[in-house]
Amino acid sequence: MNGITADGSRAQPGLTCDQVAKPHGRYLHLVWRNTIPSVDTDELGQLLAQCSLGNRRAFETLYRTASSRLFAVALRCMGRRALAEEVLQEAFVRIWHNASRYDANLSKPMTWMINITRNLAIDQLRRHREEPLSDEQAQALFDESPSAHDQLDSDRQASELQRCLDKLEGMQRQSIITAYFHGISHADLATQLAAPLGSVKSWIRRGMERLRRCLES
Amino acid sequence: MNYQRPELRRALAADYAIGLMPLTARRRFEHLMLDDAALRLELAQWQETLSTLTAPLEEQTAPEHVWPAIVARIEPQRLHVPEKRSFWNWMRITAVACSLIVVIGLGVLYNRDTINYRATLTADNQQPALNVQAHARYLNVEAVNVAAVESGRSLELWAIPADGVPVSLGVLPNDGKGRVELSEAQQKLITTPTILAITLEPQGGSPTGKPTGPVLYKGALAAL
Repeated sequence: MNGITADGSRAQPGLTCDQVAKPHGRYLHLVWRNTIPSVDTDELGQLLAQCSLGNRRAFETLYRTASSRLFAVALRCMGRRALAEEVLQEAFVRIWHNASRYDANLSKPMTWMINITRNLAIDQLRRHREEPLSDEQAQALFDESPSAHDQLDSDRQASELQRCLDKLEGMQRQSIITAYFHGISHADLATQLAAPLGSVKSWIRRGMERLRRCLES
Repeated sequence: MNYQRPELRRALAADYAIGLMPLTARRRFEHLMLDDAALRLELAQWQETLSTLTAPLEEQTAPEHVWPAIVARIEPQRLHVPEKRSFWNWMRITAVACSLIVVIGLGVLYNRDTINYRATLTADNQQPALNVQAHARYLNVEAVNVAAVESGRSLELWAIPADGVPVSLGVLPNDGKGRVELSEAQQKLITTPTILAITLEPQGGSPTGKPTGPVLYKGALAAL
């Protein structure tokens, strides 16, 4: 087989220039930890480990430390506080029960928790969204993104990150952000942006690649 | 599809991470990840990348009531079980109490056996000779001090109501101890101010239906 190895460190023949040039695996992971500022990763990791042992006190500390960040994510996805509160509650219940499944070698604690929160949120959104979005709803979704994008938390105003987000073209950023926070499908995105399906797909794919490479560099 | 092609793996992981994969493809991807640590890592890197989209979000303090709601969800044993237990205790006690009431009630119904009257029959010398306990349907006769009965004779028990006409209640064993079943007519006689008396009769009881021999013992019924 010609697959990548477990740590992905071997460069593969037949890749595009970009991919060959990129480092993979743990080395890359270490680089990342330095580029994305966040609440103390080690502390969160220890709290999660304690939670997996059933330590309620650690769980409360974890909540006090991480809930405002996760609530912001839930709010960004749901748009309404009452719905966001439900998502946050569900997310922490899940974090408590699944703490033992957190793999520190795979992702950062905050990323893991953001994922849980965001997955619950878009599941909720998709359930409520039986029918395609009306024009107003869709417009509301897209209107949010630039303002939210501009609202940088001063503590976390990482110039590196900002630079990478800024590198995305308008349509790339808009479609990625809408898909990420609201779970909108390719087809619905294409309808709402009045763009061909193929264009939407390529905006997202290229945008994601650009973002990832920028963060890795 | 050749899932070992790195660019395909990377693209699939990207689609999965951002949530743009149809359900069936999602399930297939999750299945692939089970045995593929490198694919899990690929996905984790995409998730790390995408999580940076949340970095610009301003932190939002969650309302106070969310935390208690979470605690209530993760600690059902503390919040609900005591309630449940007391409920079941209460149920158990009630069930036991009901069973007892039913058992006792049935027992009382089947063995309604209270003593309604009592009489102490005395001999001429005023010494107690027999005690009689009158139940609803029978008399229980206990000998205390009964003189021996000569052979060929029997002791017969009589009820003497207010009008003074004795009614036979039956023949007693010679030792004076026994149980005398009462007919309905006899049951009506067992009340105050009836007097009970025992006469000495020919063996088998008075042939006439009236006392023929001497009264050996007598005493009045007393209500309890």
